[in-house]
Amino acid sequence: MPDPATEPSYYGKKRWVFFVLVFVFLICAWALGLTPRGLIPSDVNQWDRTARFFQAALHPALDYEDVNVPEDAEPILVKGLKGILLTLKFAFGAMSLAVPTALLLGFFGSSAWWPEPCGKRSKALLRVVYAACRFLMSFLRSIHELIWALLFLSAMGVSPLAGMVALALPFSGTLGKVFSELIDEEARDAAEALKAIGHGPVQTFLVGILPRAMPNLITYSFYRFECALRSSAVLGFVGIETIGLYIQLSNEEFYYREVWTYLYLLIAMIVIVDRWGAMIRRHLQTTEGGCI
Amino acid sequence: MSNSFQLTDVQCRFGDFVALELAELTIEAGENVALIGPSGSGKTTLLRLLNTTLRQDAGSFTVFGKNPDGLSPKELRAVRSMIATIPQHLGLVPNLSAVQNVILGRGGHRGVFRSIRDILFPGMEDKVAIHELLDRVGIEETLFSRVSALSGGQKQRVAIARALFQEPEALLADEPVSSVDPARARDTIRLFRELSDELGFTLCVSLHDVALAKEYFPRLIGLRAGKIVFDGAPEDLEGDVLKDLYQLSDEEMMRDA
Repeated sequence: MPDPATEPSYYGKKRWVFFVLVFVFLICAWALGLTPRGLIPSDVNQWDRTARFFQAALHPALDYEDVNVPEDAEPILVKGLKGILLTLKFAFGAMSLAVPTALLLGFFGSSAWWPEPCGKRSKALLRVVYAACRFLMSFLRSIHELIWALLFLSAMGVSPLAGMVALALPFSGTLGKVFSELIDEEARDAAEALKAIGHGPVQTFLVGILPRAMPNLITYSFYRFECALRSSAVLGFVGIETIGLYIQLSNEEFYYREVWTYLYLLIAMIVIVDRWGAMIRRHLQTTEGGCI
Repeated sequence: MSNSFQLTDVQCRFGDFVALELAELTIEAGENVALIGPSGSGKTTLLRLLNTTLRQDAGSFTVFGKNPDGLSPKELRAVRSMIATIPQHLGLVPNLSAVQNVILGRGGHRGVFRSIRDILFPGMEDKVAIHELLDRVGIEETLFSRVSALSGGQKQRVAIARALFQEPEALLADEPVSSVDPARARDTIRLFRELSDELGFTLCVSLHDVALAKEYFPRLIGLRAGKIVFDGAPEDLEGDVLKDLYQLSDEEMMRDA
């Protein structure tokens, strides 16, 4: 029996992990040649540009900085809002493809609905499907949406659908992985009870497991919708028409005040979506009625 | 169909641990049985064997005259839909309303598509029947409340209503009164017995409270270390028999120490 007075080795056994992490960081910084000097602009021109960029944050453009824009062009705010709308359309479209795919992946990538007791043959089959599904999800999300987009655009040309599918693929992988884990981490008591009174596996999943996991699934889907908004903005940088494209075009010409106008619109959109998500989360915690 | 459950030389193991070892046990249709015995004596294991969610490692077991091992998944679900089980932790779906939970009681009879319809658009007949059931178990005001917002006692009543809506041939309840106060425990057990007399289903309840078991059940089965040490009428369970059932042997006391 260990003596509490003489056994200090039971406490803080893992403190070395912290020192290892600091050490690894220092090694990486040294290997990459990082110094604080890297953040300081290199010459007078660069200094000027840096200053202009941050000053522009205080004076976002309400009219085009570009003098070549024709008189009768739509105002910059209208153009920005249209860009926001396009960004929303992309994100919403991608999520509309990704959520159902992820539910399917989440179903086959979870085990809470498996029949009990289960024959050896069916269990082996279920395990194979489970493993294949997990692999597919890893594959989908190990390639970033920007890389998917570059691949699709070079293979199929610039088209809205290519952009949407490029977003939907890695999002299906991430959503599916988290869905399947949320589903399997829920307490299994309801699922067991329904199986015991004759519910089949799919039935148990749909009426017992899914409603139980639903609030978590919705909350996470909302978070991913926010991510999809940011990602669809980024897709603008590879030529798909979202707010990101406008940011990039203005940035290339050093019209920093226009850049900030678009950035503020983007921030406003994210904040509004975040508030909306919070409202829905509160609604999910009501005491009246079921969640579906 | 004269007996609900019949076990012969049944053994259930978890690894090397023998959880249940029964030479002979028959529960007739319509019987009211209380399972008693200390914690870890095999009561839950026996109930899980009876509702076919656990299989014996040796011996034979039939439920309503059928051997669950020889049944197809569909036939097995049909058998299970005749047995209502109320697990110790009730097994309700917390994010669904009381009425949605109760309607799932008939899911075993109805299949997947009907169950989805039942949850989203419950039929008028079902809604009326469930309202009456919740009234019968004393919580009709909770009809549309989300189950996660109900008290422990109310949740238990929802679970009982779900079991009744199933219209079972047999009802199994695992420690249904382990988490309620003595007065409520008595009410709940009385309710179980009234319902089994009225509807004629086989009732098998595991209980910690021997006095309660003796008061309400004509047949008691005492389990200890996975074996039946008593099977008979309540008036025969007293004195040394009762002491044997609950008192720790020297060996067990040594092990616990």
